[in-house]
Amino acid sequence: MRGVCGFGGGVASSESMTPATAAAEAEKRKGEEEEVEEIEEEREEELELGLSLGAKKVPAGSGTVALPWGQGCRILTANDFPSMVSRASPVPSPNSSVSSSSATLGGVTGSKRAAAPDPISPEAAGSAHRPISPMVVGWPPVRAFRMNSLFNLSKDSNQEVDATNPKKTNHNNSISGNGSCIKEGSGINDQERKSRTSASSLFVKVNMDGDPIGRKVDLNAHHSYESLASSLELMFHKPTMPLGASSSYVAKASKLLDGSSEFALTYEDKDGDWMLVGDVPWGMFLETVKRLRIMRTSDANGLAPRFRSFNKSRGLVGSKHS
Amino acid sequence: MAAKRKKELEGEEKPQENRISTFPDEVLERVLVFVKSHKDRSAVSLVCKDWYNAERWSRTHVFIGNCYSVSPEMVARRFPNIRSLTLKGKPRFYDFNLVPPEWGADIHSWLVIFALAYPFLEELRLKRMTVTDDSLEYLARSFPGFKALSLVSCDGFSTNGLASVASYCRNLTELDIQESGIDDLGGSWLSCFPDNFTSLEALNFANLHSEVNFDSLERLVARCKSLRVLKVNKHVTLEQLRRLLIRAPQLMELGTGSFSQDHKLRSDTELENAFSNCKNLHTISGLWVVSSLYLPALYPACSNLTFLNLSYAPLQSTELAKLLPSCPLLRRLWVLDTVEDKGLEAVGSSCRLLEELRVFPADPFDQEIMLEGGHSGVTESGFISVSEGCPNLHYVLYFCRQMTNVAVATVVRNCPNFTHFRLCIMNMCQPDYLTNEPMDEAFGAVVKSCTKLRRLAVSGLLTDCAFEYIGTYAKNLETLSVAFAGSSDRGMQCVLQGCPKLRKLEIRDSPFGNAALLSGLERYESMRSLWMSACKVTMSGCRLLAREMPRLNVEVIKEDEGDDIQAEKVYVYRSVAGPRRDAPPFVLTL
Repeated sequence: MRGVCGFGGGVASSESMTPATAAAEAEKRKGEEEEVEEIEEEREEELELGLSLGAKKVPAGSGTVALPWGQGCRILTANDFPSMVSRASPVPSPNSSVSSSSATLGGVTGSKRAAAPDPISPEAAGSAHRPISPMVVGWPPVRAFRMNSLFNLSKDSNQEVDATNPKKTNHNNSISGNGSCIKEGSGINDQERKSRTSASSLFVKVNMDGDPIGRKVDLNAHHSYESLASSLELMFHKPTMPLGASSSYVAKASKLLDGSSEFALTYEDKDGDWMLVGDVPWGMFLETVKRLRIMRTSDANGLAPRFRSFNKSRGLVGSKHS
Repeated sequence: MAAKRKKELEGEEKPQENRISTFPDEVLERVLVFVKSHKDRSAVSLVCKDWYNAERWSRTHVFIGNCYSVSPEMVARRFPNIRSLTLKGKPRFYDFNLVPPEWGADIHSWLVIFALAYPFLEELRLKRMTVTDDSLEYLARSFPGFKALSLVSCDGFSTNGLASVASYCRNLTELDIQESGIDDLGGSWLSCFPDNFTSLEALNFANLHSEVNFDSLERLVARCKSLRVLKVNKHVTLEQLRRLLIRAPQLMELGTGSFSQDHKLRSDTELENAFSNCKNLHTISGLWVVSSLYLPALYPACSNLTFLNLSYAPLQSTELAKLLPSCPLLRRLWVLDTVEDKGLEAVGSSCRLLEELRVFPADPFDQEIMLEGGHSGVTESGFISVSEGCPNLHYVLYFCRQMTNVAVATVVRNCPNFTHFRLCIMNMCQPDYLTNEPMDEAFGAVVKSCTKLRRLAVSGLLTDCAFEYIGTYAKNLETLSVAFAGSSDRGMQCVLQGCPKLRKLEIRDSPFGNAALLSGLERYESMRSLWMSACKVTMSGCRLLAREMPRLNVEVIKEDEGDDIQAEKVYVYRSVAGPRRDAPPFVLTL
């Protein structure tokens, strides 16, 4: 309902708003929102499409993107999608006394205002699932160059963050007094040094069921399933979830692998088959893995039975559980 | 060779009694050379005709805040000895895609006039102008003594234009293309600097995406012994950076390349040593793709740091907290909101001398895909922490998703010396999230406390009340940016009537109509410009303004055929050059 907000929602007088009137305003806006809900939903779909397209398509500003304006570093906005240009039009405010606002239907560049899902109610403000802000041209006011850099940042930083994850895990492991952890720790330190001098990284995508955001992890930065699982745990942990003492890192990590947690770690191999992680020696795993998926255990039932394979495995995991 | 002043008029020689000063003109000119600020110079030129003349002959630098306010011919006529020119072109909202790209502000017509008038031109600093490759080549060939080219937020050129500059400007000292929208066709332009070229002092190609030949770069850096500013792009690796630093320990401003895993780097100590050799560094930026593993290498270089630009480096709060204690003299800090409130607490506790803080959003569209784990950015509590620890803070640019009136009031109570206060609550029309009231009181507190306020950008849910406060208290305000705010014409009227020093007013998506526009009739000639887009102004209101005030250019940008009543985008500015002669078809001058 941004259109209504900006026009003051019909507050014609210059009195300052008391909380009561502000609340009344919010109510009024909600009511008006329903009127335009249909248009909104359509538009939001288009806009979301535009959002992700914009996020993926903008390359490293090399000018190869066929931007209609032929600019070097122009972010894709609602303008770049002709279907949205004709469709998206400012919401005429019923309370506005000037009829001119309705005359602007027709998608004038730069003035498109998609109605906002009501962001004003306190519940929405505090909720974990924020409504996506409407794509209004030029808002927030961040320069096109900086916007483009941010999109590129997300590509690069995903890789970088994963490279530092092993360090976080290692640090925690080496703190713990657990005998097997220290053994792990020194091993991982070697690997850390190795990974810094190794010639290549092996990035694979990781998706977690229920999480729309995919990540990438550098498998060459790990040397065991344990360290991989730990780092994935860290990666997909929500900050609000309590992180226990370092020893519980180990416990949690192995949960992912031994089937005692709600999630199971699986991978897609060269042949396109989905397998449970941990079945084959690490080196062999590296050669055949294409991508990873953290699947709900309930869904993982169709995969190769894990407990048998695990016991057969080299005991990397077996020695852990003390 | 400066043009010599000749007696222009018969009556130039006056009897001594009628002159304001008894100095001969030449002495006055010598004195005026020391007056640098263009505002002072304007004042000098208004004293009397003698001083006007002395001033114009002695002026070497011209600053033109709006390229359409004056014509290049007029500039050339008035000032015969210009060596350095600063020009600003498009309205600022161009940066946010509100102005169509073919709008204008092309430098070429200026270059053509200046090639004749100022063949000894040395410096050109442009902001938001269109510059083509042809213009760059023309520049490089027409001005043999050309030294410094700075293009901020410009567009229209490619790396071929840079190649021309590198090839033909034998005396080049500065090449800076920060944040310009350039067509990046490759990095070979850098190799165009001739082998005997050694005069470079400042080089900034941080925003280019293509890789330059590193050997060429290294040799260039090695032979330019006066190099004090070097800002490279993200393709330069850590090992390469190390080698550059070894060659140029005298650097004062450094923009690093990628600060992440580099297999060629033999050891961290070598990198640290390279950094500690640079004793004169006062500015560090870049840090594209930063890995916290390597940040500590920077610490030895930070002891004299006054400006740290981390706005492209998504650091976490702990990383920032570890870095800041190495920067005790920091005065300006730019960060991404990935540092969160905890990071800002570290700022408050480590940076006592901080004067400027800019917090940019890493995820402006709230997509949560930008960085792992998602993050909430900064809130009002981070803002308060900084204000508590940094009493000298006078410039802030703060992007956040939530704010309260009380928090802002606390901040300005702690720091009453704000000259620039730019608060951007990214969710449009968002009220105080605790009380649900408009953010009027927040900005009221700002203008009441900060009497030296020159620049203000408002956001959040705002009624006319906020603007009443601004009009009543912000007596030194020069620039005001308004978006999605206000309830009626009265808001804009309060500002126009109450802020005597207002020079730039830019408004978008606010309910101000013709009454508001016309209330500023008397004001616009003392302002640089007014921008109003998606407001309630109509064509007839604009026409009336144009009729009443012939020395203003009233331009309406019309992008669709449909509507003849609404004036969707209005740009009003004073000009002695008359209406634009190069206006594209969608710009109507009324």
